Amino acid sequence: MSVQTWMILISIALGTYLIRALPYLWMARKLNKQASQGSIGSTPVWLTILGPTMIAAMFGSSLVPVEPSLLSWIATVIGCSATYIVWRRTRSMGYPIVVGVLVFGALVVIFG
Amino acid sequence: MNTVAPTLLSNPWKQGAKDALPLLGGYIPVAVSFGLFSVQSGFGVLETILVSAFIYAGASQFLFVAMVVSGAPIWLVIVMTLLINSRHLVYGPNIAPYLQKDVRWLPLMHLLTDQIFALTLTRMPDMTPSDRLRWYVSAGVIAWLSWIFGTALGAIAGEELMQRWPLIGEVLPFALPALFLVMVLPRCTDRRWTITMVMATSTAMLLKLSGFPNMAIPAAAICGVLAYYAIQARPTDKGELS
Repeated sequence: MSVQTWMILISIALGTYLIRALPYLWMARKLNKQASQGSIGSTPVWLTILGPTMIAAMFGSSLVPVEPSLLSWIATVIGCSATYIVWRRTRSMGYPIVVGVLVFGALVVIFG
Repeated sequence: MNTVAPTLLSNPWKQGAKDALPLLGGYIPVAVSFGLFSVQSGFGVLETILVSAFIYAGASQFLFVAMVVSGAPIWLVIVMTLLINSRHLVYGPNIAPYLQKDVRWLPLMHLLTDQIFALTLTRMPDMTPSDRLRWYVSAGVIAWLSWIFGTALGAIAGEELMQRWPLIGEVLPFALPALFLVMVLPRCTDRRWTITMVMATSTAMLLKLSGFPNMAIPAAAICGVLAYYAIQARPTDKGELS
């Protein structure tokens, strides 16, 4: 890589890190300040809604199959259903994911 | 409605490793693709690995390589990649209430990807403050190393891997939607939250299908927030509608 490309890489890496770290630092200081003033530190309501909706958005985005086709869409729906059924029974994270991937994979391999 | 508290392992290191495992199914195939793409674009193996280690943000890494190879202006490469990563702005403030005052959290923010954020927000409320740092280091470092490992694998042997086991890249990434699904479900505790989550999910999917993958997550999340407030503002009395 040229010196110029290294500079771009370092700038992006630093910028990405600051995007992740500075807002955290800002909120941590805000919460500490509120606590030191005797009030209960609280996160803005809109932010507490935005967190879960970001996860839902990641879910929606990840639902689009790597290789979109009728089979991969059907496998996605059935794989998610299997994940949901196991989650309903176990309320855990590990087993539902394993079962979901196995069901999805089996459908893609058998009918693909 | 899920009122049952999840059962966590007593060892936060093990719990973090266990929680990070599903991420590998999503991370490694994408990282292999990136490693292969980067080397084929003219970057060296070590350079490719360093890009993954330092930037550690999937979509922006692909964009970085593509724009550098196409000879785009420096400022445009930096602005576009940071713009893609700007969705991370809301992650730190969301998890800040769960992180105790400790300077070690600051360097650990490098590990705060989309998936680690989602895991953190799901897991930390149920953990004791003393376990949170160890859990985060365990899950975060495993995810980071898997990304670096996948990149190296792709850069060194990506072409052969893709030819020999083409289904790996198609099947394993399903671990991510499955993971996100089990994080979304416990939030659907009532009608208002269910509609909010469905709105965010469907908007993101539609945006991605429409060819806007990079703006899908932030835009859909904002739609979800708007839906949440819209449902609150909706009058329940028919008389108020007229």
